[in-house]
Amino acid sequence: MSLETEEVHARDHEAFLEEVHSFEFWFQSVEGYLSHHPYGVDPETPLPELEDAERASLIASLSTYCVGEAAALDGASGMIAFAPNHAAKIFLATQVADEARHLEVMLHRLAELGVDDARATFEARAHPSLIAFRDRLLEFVAARDWEASVFAQNVILESMEFAAFHSHMQTADPRTSQILSGVLKDERRHMGFGENDLGRHLAHSPGAHERLREIKHELDPLVLATFEESLDAIGLPRGERPEVGRLYLETVARLGFDT
Amino acid sequence: MSDFLNAYSIQTWLESCPQGYLMDTEYGHAADAREPDLVLENPVVRQEAIGTTVQLLVGERAALAASSGLINAAPDHPSKRFLATQTLDEARHVEIFTQRLYDLGVKKAELEDVIAAHASPHLVRFAEVLLEKVDKGDFVAGVVGQNIVLEGLAFSVFEMMHAGNVEANPKFAQTLAGTIADERRHVGFGENRIGSLIKQHPEKRPEIEQMQKDMSYHMLATFADRFRGQAAAMEESRRISRDAAAQRGEGAKSQQWHGTDLASADPAELEAVLADTVLKEFKIRLDRIGLEYQTPERP
Repeated sequence: MSLETEEVHARDHEAFLEEVHSFEFWFQSVEGYLSHHPYGVDPETPLPELEDAERASLIASLSTYCVGEAAALDGASGMIAFAPNHAAKIFLATQVADEARHLEVMLHRLAELGVDDARATFEARAHPSLIAFRDRLLEFVAARDWEASVFAQNVILESMEFAAFHSHMQTADPRTSQILSGVLKDERRHMGFGENDLGRHLAHSPGAHERLREIKHELDPLVLATFEESLDAIGLPRGERPEVGRLYLETVARLGFDT
Repeated sequence: MSDFLNAYSIQTWLESCPQGYLMDTEYGHAADAREPDLVLENPVVRQEAIGTTVQLLVGERAALAASSGLINAAPDHPSKRFLATQTLDEARHVEIFTQRLYDLGVKKAELEDVIAAHASPHLVRFAEVLLEKVDKGDFVAGVVGQNIVLEGLAFSVFEMMHAGNVEANPKFAQTLAGTIADERRHVGFGENRIGSLIKQHPEKRPEIEQMQKDMSYHMLATFADRFRGQAAAMEESRRISRDAAAQRGEGAKSQQWHGTDLASADPAELEAVLADTVLKEFKIRLDRIGLEYQTPERP
């Protein structure tokens, strides 16, 4: 490929990224699945009756998810200050609103399940491994470490959530399933940003690969422990659990991080 | 506290903003709307429009940095949730004003140079005073600086511009109408949220009042830069509008805003009515939240 053709492709790709990371793109995308779905649910969908054990498991899972979403809200908003360009800042602003919405719809579902003060208590119900992961993510953000923050948040956390929500959606009651479906559509965008940003970064900074591999090794046990705990809560049979881990590992493998 | 903050939920924001007044818009206006020929074809008027839009963009970039930066400092979840909606509003404002620069013929590769060339140094300093508080994680000072001072300034500026453009530039007027609706929400949060926090932390009053004084000075200096420096461009713009109206067989139309006819007032009068309107609103809002307005020096 000639240098001129390469430059044209590079400019086209930049223009493409600017478009897909814009508010306008977000606005057109979410309209399709958020319209007429207050708190992420079709209002015609009835409230399901759940057995006590089922209800308790769902409350535990949603509480864990709330920790992840609250972490992503703090993470994404903190990252705007040191994002490398304005298009990244605008994308992160759309992610901030998405994460706030995710937290809101999950708290709303918890209220439907009879949890009186979900906002004050979700952290206490959440799994300790995810709390530890969150703390590490926010350390990267506080240190204004862009590559570590994007990796921990938009690759690891988002793909962990994607895998967990995707599995949960298959067995969840209809209201919870609709909520998770809308959340998953957002997570796909967030993961796409992370893969794209880091992919380009790694192509130009091969030394970063080793550093991020070390971060992944540090965070993997927390991720996999969170999966184990969450999948216990939603009652996914052990035979199906490797699928969840596989979804997560495939996502990070696309960036060249094999186990 | 939580009752009024329930009005600032994500769901409420979705229904009023993207599913409300932004429906069927692109970059805040109708898809087929264009900048008027009289702006695009007259270099003096076009440069003035670019210069004005750069100031709006600089302000919105600061607001994006401030609102996102305040999320981690927020003391409660409902405040974080509101600030998340404000973060996206401000990002949208950055995007639509950037797009307006492109619509006015600024090339993407030239964007940052154009901003650097036109941005008022006083507006840049205004933003720096605010962001110093945000970077320190000072939630109370940050919300006063952002949601009372910066948003209060933006609200009045946008209202004035809207009044002056509703006939001459419907595209820009529609863009501004959306931002005005957003700023109303932002100012409302500031007033409602901060009063109780200031009562809990009376020791912060002197520092916040000094911040307000400093920001107000730089705001007035920005107005002075724009109005006093752009008198020729404003007159040229009016001349073209008058000529265009005469060709259509129309007389000059008045554009009333706070008792001043924007169509005929000279730059000094325009600067005065804007400054007086903004400062009057500051006094009212600061008093509501238990702060004493500090009169800035006049540039």
